[in-house]
Amino acid sequence: MVAWQRIRVMTRKEVQQLLRDGILMGFVLYAFTGDIFVAGSGMKMELSNAKMIVLDADQSPVSRELISRFHGPEFNVIGSANSPEHALQLLDHGKAMILIDIPSGFQDDLIKGRQASIQLQTDSSNSVLGTWANSYAAQIIGGFALEQSLGALGIGGDGSGPMPVPMVDDRHRVWFNPNSVDKWFIPVVEMMTMVTMLSVMLPAAAMVREKERGTIEQLLVSPLTPMQILFPKVISMTIVIMIGITLALFVVLRPAFDLPIRGNLFLFYFLSAIYVFTMSGVGMALSTVVNNMAQVGMMVILFLAPMLMLSGTFVPYEGMAPAIRWIMFVSPLHYYVEITLGILLRGAGIDILWPNIIPMTGIGAVVFTLSLLRFRRQFN
Amino acid sequence: MNTERIMATMTKEVNEILRDRLFMTLAFISPVLMMLLMGYGMNLDVENIPIVILDYDDTPASRDYAYRYVDSRYFDFKGFVTNEHELEKLIMAAKVRGGIIIPEHFGARLASGQGVEVQTLIEGVIPLRANMTKGYVIAINAYVNQENLTGFLSRLQGIPRERAADTINSIRLESRYLYNQAVKSVWSLAPKLIMLILMMTPPFLTSVSVVREKERGSILNIYASTVSRAEYIIGKLGPYAVIALFNGVLLWVLATQLFLAPFKGSFLFFLLCTSVYAICTTGLGLLVSIFVRTQIAAIVVTMMVTVVPAMLYSGILIPLSSLGTLPKLLAYLAPAMHYSMIIDGTFLKGEGFATLWIHFMNLVIYTTVLFALSYSLFTKRPKS
Repeated sequence: MVAWQRIRVMTRKEVQQLLRDGILMGFVLYAFTGDIFVAGSGMKMELSNAKMIVLDADQSPVSRELISRFHGPEFNVIGSANSPEHALQLLDHGKAMILIDIPSGFQDDLIKGRQASIQLQTDSSNSVLGTWANSYAAQIIGGFALEQSLGALGIGGDGSGPMPVPMVDDRHRVWFNPNSVDKWFIPVVEMMTMVTMLSVMLPAAAMVREKERGTIEQLLVSPLTPMQILFPKVISMTIVIMIGITLALFVVLRPAFDLPIRGNLFLFYFLSAIYVFTMSGVGMALSTVVNNMAQVGMMVILFLAPMLMLSGTFVPYEGMAPAIRWIMFVSPLHYYVEITLGILLRGAGIDILWPNIIPMTGIGAVVFTLSLLRFRRQFN
Repeated sequence: MNTERIMATMTKEVNEILRDRLFMTLAFISPVLMMLLMGYGMNLDVENIPIVILDYDDTPASRDYAYRYVDSRYFDFKGFVTNEHELEKLIMAAKVRGGIIIPEHFGARLASGQGVEVQTLIEGVIPLRANMTKGYVIAINAYVNQENLTGFLSRLQGIPRERAADTINSIRLESRYLYNQAVKSVWSLAPKLIMLILMMTPPFLTSVSVVREKERGSILNIYASTVSRAEYIIGKLGPYAVIALFNGVLLWVLATQLFLAPFKGSFLFFLLCTSVYAICTTGLGLLVSIFVRTQIAAIVVTMMVTVVPAMLYSGILIPLSSLGTLPKLLAYLAPAMHYSMIIDGTFLKGEGFATLWIHFMNLVIYTTVLFALSYSLFTKRPKS
């Protein structure tokens, strides 16, 4: 089996070449360990420490009670403003994020059963923060309002009391992540980011390096077929990255963040290998259209940056413009995200994940074939 | 410092760039393409959350209740399911992110003045989305409760609905949004993308260019020549910083003209800060190039040093206030965060030098330290 022997020899060459670049290996190691650890340390995609300024014209026990409802970790009441102008100034300069304006007569209105009013002004220059802050504040105020109105009826805030009340009591159950810990989601996404970046970049750069140095000519005049030239590069990178994933999972994610592995670990490894193959194929395909490293760097980042930002993790698919959503259908990362989150955190199996497995594998096959076909032709 | 030598190095670099057609195209087209893809694709508003409803009651009252979810712009109603097993399967496959279970006798209990329990199952793998879903459900239920209680009170005390409404809706909340009145996420996103793209593209240009000379050995010409370190650095980086600045302005045009983000501040100040930022990011590439010996390492290291902090620690996806201590420290050490503040200030708040000077100074200090470090570490007599 000459073909297999050739592939084995070439793979050994690729791995050795990779290992000899100490700095590169050092950074690859960091990518799968340190970087993921930092990503999981204390990042919350939640409202935290939002600075609130108070304009309380009422200064009554009721208004003070309401203000006391705004506390950490979400809100940080930094103080009272002297006047509306002062308050707006603080918002303008970014010293506060949200202003609560309680007019005088607030307590009076509530006691007398009239409608009281409150104004919230939120800095929405960061639209995400603005929406969160306003929505949480509105929830707090809404809960307070409900207590007041039920109190007027002689009923406790949760609908308990001497008489029954037609209230909908809302019971949540959050699956897979009952405490909504971000320390699972963000580092896992970071691991996927690293896998993606390296699986595209390493094979592409390795190929272009051979082009630049001219060693590709030696390969071309040898009896090696394009498959026997491309495949070893992909295999060697896959080996390195799979080791990286193992490190990430068992040296960082499990020990430091108690990440559960609810599904089949072997399935995860198998599908990760397919993903790495696919992305290496993308890298290879890119490498056939460029001639030097500067170009490959620019080209790869052009593909990677949008793919990473639009992977459906930080930004939901539901919100993307239709055209972009269609483009992301050919992004293998989209499917890999569902597979990874599905297996690790939801305990999903092949029966549930096949709508993701098939497209990912399909894209991989197409991209790989493209690279093989382009391989000879790129030199004409 | 000899300007002739600087010009010589710069001219050589410019010629190299001009002769590499593909590279030149990529250097100018990539930022634009990235802006288009990410600007149109990244909608950070969490809306259209796919849900299903399991209605065990199936009365007009329960259907009315269900309709509030169907009608809500926050949810994308995917249909009714008939049993919990179906619901579980859909959540497991992440086809829906939540399910509302309306119990039996929903309508009857409410009509007789009793409370009911409605269960909400939320797919919680992505905490942000789970929290937002929870929030929307709470909001819808609050609204439903207000209506029901108003009717209840008016029947109970024999008072007209309007008066009952005043008591039940005890607090009227008025929410105003400042600087971004329509809370359009693209208005705060598109400008930040300038920061992101300028962080991700220029470093590659410089790091690869310097390491290419190292790999090829042509750097030995520099080592052996009379070109001083400073002259070489300026000559090498100059063209790339100019390209970066040009891209910055191009992206500004896209942000304001295509995505219609308002720009209330001073363009001159923006230009000044962007120039410093462009010099800074190209300088980062230079620093990377000093530590690596191969182009492949240059690319991978640059990628990790720029893309990761730009994505996670710059405030574009995760608000800075939500970062823990260690990530926050990294964020403050990176130039992206300060430039982000400047962008926020100049675009949406109409701020200028007066209030943003501290971030500007941070950028300048960062750039100076970066170059000082590179200058001292870059040696014309390397050990190996």
